[in-house]
Amino acid sequence: MVATAHIEEPQSATPLARGAQQAPLGAWGAFAAASAWLTGCGGGGDPVAERLLAQPQAERRDLMGALANPSGNSREAPLAWRLPTPDELLNWAERTFPSAFPGPVPSVVSGDLTYRVYSTGNAVGVSGSQVLVLGPISKNQLVVVGTLADFANAVLGENQVVTPTEAARFLAQAAFGGSAADVAAVQAQGFSGWLTNQMAERRGQSHWDWMVANGYAVAANINNVQGVENTLWRKLMSSSDMVRQRVTLALSEIFVISLDGLPVQWRGMVAANFMDILETHALGNFRQLLEEVTLSPGMGVYLNMRGNQKADGKGREPDENYAREVMQLFTIGLVQLNPDGTPKTAGGVPLETYTNDDIRGLARVFTGWDFDRFSASVPDHAGRPMVFTASRHSPEEKKFLGMTLPAGTDGVGELKTALDALFNHPNTGPFIGQQLIQRLVCSNPSPAYVARVAAAFARNEQGVRGDMQAVLRAVLLDTEARTPSTKPGGGKLREPMVRFIQWARTFGAYSPTELWNVGNQSSASTRLGQSPLRSPSVFNFFRPGYIPPGTSLGTAGLAAPEFQITNESTVVGYANWMQTVVSSGAGEVKADYASLLLLVGDAGALFDQVNLLLAAGQLGAASRATIVSAVGSMASATDTNRLNRIYATVWLVLCAPEYLVQK
Amino acid sequence: MRTEISASRHVTQGVANLQRREFLRRGAVLSAAGAAAPWALSLSAMGEAAAAGPVNDYKALVCVFLYGANDNGNTVVPYDATNHAAYTTIRAALATPRDQLLALNATTGLPSGTQMALAPQMSGMRAVFDAGRLGVLLNVGTLTTPTTLAQYNAKSVPLPPKLFSHNDQQSIWQSSLAEGATSGWGGRLGDLFLNQNSTSTFTCMNVSGNAVYVSGQQAVQYQVSSSGAVKLRATSGSTFGSTAISQALQNLTQATSSHLFEAEHTRIMKRAVEAEAQLSSALAAAPTLITGFNAANSLATQLQMVARTISARTALGAKRQVFFVSIGGFDLHDNLVTQHPGLLTSVSEALTSFDAALMELGVAKQVTTFTASDFGRTLSSNGDGSDHGWGSHHFVMGGAVAGGRFYGKLPAMAVNGPDDVGQGRFLPTTSVDQLGATLATWFGVPASDMPLVFPNIGNFNQGTLPIFG
Repeated sequence: MVATAHIEEPQSATPLARGAQQAPLGAWGAFAAASAWLTGCGGGGDPVAERLLAQPQAERRDLMGALANPSGNSREAPLAWRLPTPDELLNWAERTFPSAFPGPVPSVVSGDLTYRVYSTGNAVGVSGSQVLVLGPISKNQLVVVGTLADFANAVLGENQVVTPTEAARFLAQAAFGGSAADVAAVQAQGFSGWLTNQMAERRGQSHWDWMVANGYAVAANINNVQGVENTLWRKLMSSSDMVRQRVTLALSEIFVISLDGLPVQWRGMVAANFMDILETHALGNFRQLLEEVTLSPGMGVYLNMRGNQKADGKGREPDENYAREVMQLFTIGLVQLNPDGTPKTAGGVPLETYTNDDIRGLARVFTGWDFDRFSASVPDHAGRPMVFTASRHSPEEKKFLGMTLPAGTDGVGELKTALDALFNHPNTGPFIGQQLIQRLVCSNPSPAYVARVAAAFARNEQGVRGDMQAVLRAVLLDTEARTPSTKPGGGKLREPMVRFIQWARTFGAYSPTELWNVGNQSSASTRLGQSPLRSPSVFNFFRPGYIPPGTSLGTAGLAAPEFQITNESTVVGYANWMQTVVSSGAGEVKADYASLLLLVGDAGALFDQVNLLLAAGQLGAASRATIVSAVGSMASATDTNRLNRIYATVWLVLCAPEYLVQK
Repeated sequence: MRTEISASRHVTQGVANLQRREFLRRGAVLSAAGAAAPWALSLSAMGEAAAAGPVNDYKALVCVFLYGANDNGNTVVPYDATNHAAYTTIRAALATPRDQLLALNATTGLPSGTQMALAPQMSGMRAVFDAGRLGVLLNVGTLTTPTTLAQYNAKSVPLPPKLFSHNDQQSIWQSSLAEGATSGWGGRLGDLFLNQNSTSTFTCMNVSGNAVYVSGQQAVQYQVSSSGAVKLRATSGSTFGSTAISQALQNLTQATSSHLFEAEHTRIMKRAVEAEAQLSSALAAAPTLITGFNAANSLATQLQMVARTISARTALGAKRQVFFVSIGGFDLHDNLVTQHPGLLTSVSEALTSFDAALMELGVAKQVTTFTASDFGRTLSSNGDGSDHGWGSHHFVMGGAVAGGRFYGKLPAMAVNGPDDVGQGRFLPTTSVDQLGATLATWFGVPASDMPLVFPNIGNFNQGTLPIFG
């Protein structure tokens, strides 16, 4: 809490850097005029408003303590994450700085400006999100002392609580939703605190170790993927490090390999190792993630860098696949981006990031790598990075993205140089940041939101580039993430596999055998139409820029990636399959609805709890009436009756469009 | 040129008054839209006026998409000794020995002295070729305008954006636009015939995953599984012992919403439930197909579903239908020699069964099937596979097809040859638009409407190919 005013000599005025901090002309004028009139120091016929508009306003974030506020990083929503109203802010200013702003005085509202003028000659106001001060306190300069977000903690203080609805909504973005206990934990720790604790949560047994411990890493499985889906579902549905698991799944949809495209022996162990790599670096640094993915046996097989050789002078050329896709899909994308993720154009045409010549140059870099001591009897090589053989590496000069690596450069060093170039490319932050936002929060983030996430990618608080924790905090704590969207295209369609995992986590699903025999959920007509590590290609289940053809979404120019796997078969297939899942479980994996049994007698209370946990309360009054009426008409005398009421409520919520679209 | 649509649509003699009036109305709408308006908006701007003249017969167009980019080099292979030797030198370990190839005896459409063959796995398709119901379109690919190698190298003509990129070239093949396109040319064909069908939902059908090809401005891609429309269990009987719950599910999932994502989900669910009832009942009443389809071959079962739907065309009230099916796995940078043959087996087996089923149904002349793919692949080997190319060879099949011959122009079997933009990536000599316009003409689209479906067709002197004789 800031308790003292920092009233001191104004330092040299800092011109406002961002256009976004320009208040509307009318608001400034009205504010300045009112203040000048009251203090009697207005400049006669020289309108104060004009004078103020003629010179840059200053920013003095120290003046009212915005700098000292622990939530003062405007990139993040504060612990007390709701923004104060203008009157709350002004009341707080009166309480905190009574000598400068002796109250109470009434607010004056003019357009989006709300202000109060005091007998001391000082005035304080809120214009949009900006907090303004004018008077002796600021040496009669009109200064911006911060934003509402800067003062949120101070104003709302410890009385600010995260409501259950807000906690549930946060859990749906940061994790896979959660149980009533998870909701309570978010409420108790706050968004930021909970995230910090989650990021420090210990990792459970790795996929690799679980495969070994449960007897799947045996020669009999050399040509199948037995056990992989078991361990994937195990961690997705039950690991306590739910943020890491959520991010790992999201990364598996950017750095895509597929169990359906690994034509190699020990493919199951190759896949387990790959998922472990994503998990290891999900909360680490993007540069290490990129390198470990590049050298992983899984990616090596999937995109053919493994065994890639130099040209032989007789027509054989290096394989271009990894060179192409590491740029197009994993780092920089096809078109040059501004820091806010919008494309750079020339004459209205997007500028491309590379040509086929760049691919041919980079393809030479990615030659010479192969498994580290392949063995058909033990899978150990599947858990080790690929290794370099100089004799198979292209010795020629390599040109790509404006770089030239001279002939004869060390191949290992070349790989690191190339990955550094991709990592440091200005596109990579916005390109990856936007996709993480799309996986976790919304399909159509504002450019400003993307820019804030890209800025976090560019440097964390220590100035380090690619810090995934900083990126994820920027994604999840941004005001655009924390404020429910009211736009007709806000939010995102929840992915079918995420809905399914949410069901499991919300209702404490368990595997009696501890083998998590859930299996492949890819069937579009009888399952989810989506399953972890089962993308049909490296382009994922859906594209980040997918616009459903022939829809109002398309007319509005809105991307809706998840609609690429949404059609007449999948919407019905999902509803049918979840009907089975909520009542009978998925395979042997069953839910534990004990916590809902107490509510069964009251269909409304039952609905409210399910609506809270699954949908963060998104189902509105009409849906509530439909469901409560239908469930209320069901018998409740026997245990079977009571369970049916629970199944019906859970299933109806899981099928409701107001749930399916996460807002 | 597309900006000259109006000029190209001068009323010809003999056009019925009604049609002429409609034409003028459409022309006015297009003029109002102005030259600057994106061509893709044209059809929707025309609204319900977008319709071809009344048709009384039935026709269907089936697109078989080979996802990942089929290796043209090992699909349609040089067979004469000279070219096969050149092919073997270029492809080295990837090359198929001449004595394993299935020679195509017909040479119509090939340069003199050349002979081509199909891959060893395509005996079924060779038989259909020999029967005159299958032809080979040589070196077709995405083009904005006719392009020479010199023009490509000098970048002096507009090229399709994002060449060699899978997702974008798939989109351009299917829609004429890069990724993000919101209508495809199959769907735009559907738009023109939407009100010829008594239920518009069955105009554009997709038995594969979502694809822009089969979405129009108005025509929606109606998606079914290989075994038919998926039935919502809650539409019949009780759920968890309660009919009220079944009803509640239908109410909830079809409720209107002002949220665009919710509204779209609702629209799909509503269509799914309504169309399923109609399609399932029509399929149940249709005669059982005798022709066998390999149940383990996903492409075959998709085409079986197409054949079954065609067999129910009368009950569905369909006069014109556009279908989309697909098979993936063709992006063989590695393992080409071990994996490509299996894929070609699946393609040949599926198309051969489909041809037989259409013969059985007596509709072979009313159904035309064609293959498409992201792009071709390099002739050059990377040791274990081939890389992203451009032009490729494709198949057109059907009773109306003047088959047993080649169309288009055979590129030189050479790396750095006259047709190569690098490593044996063929510069296409026939555009996808030319193929599409040929199919659309057969389908019944008047030449005057063609620029609505194929925005760049005016750039090509030869609007159609001799595929239908």
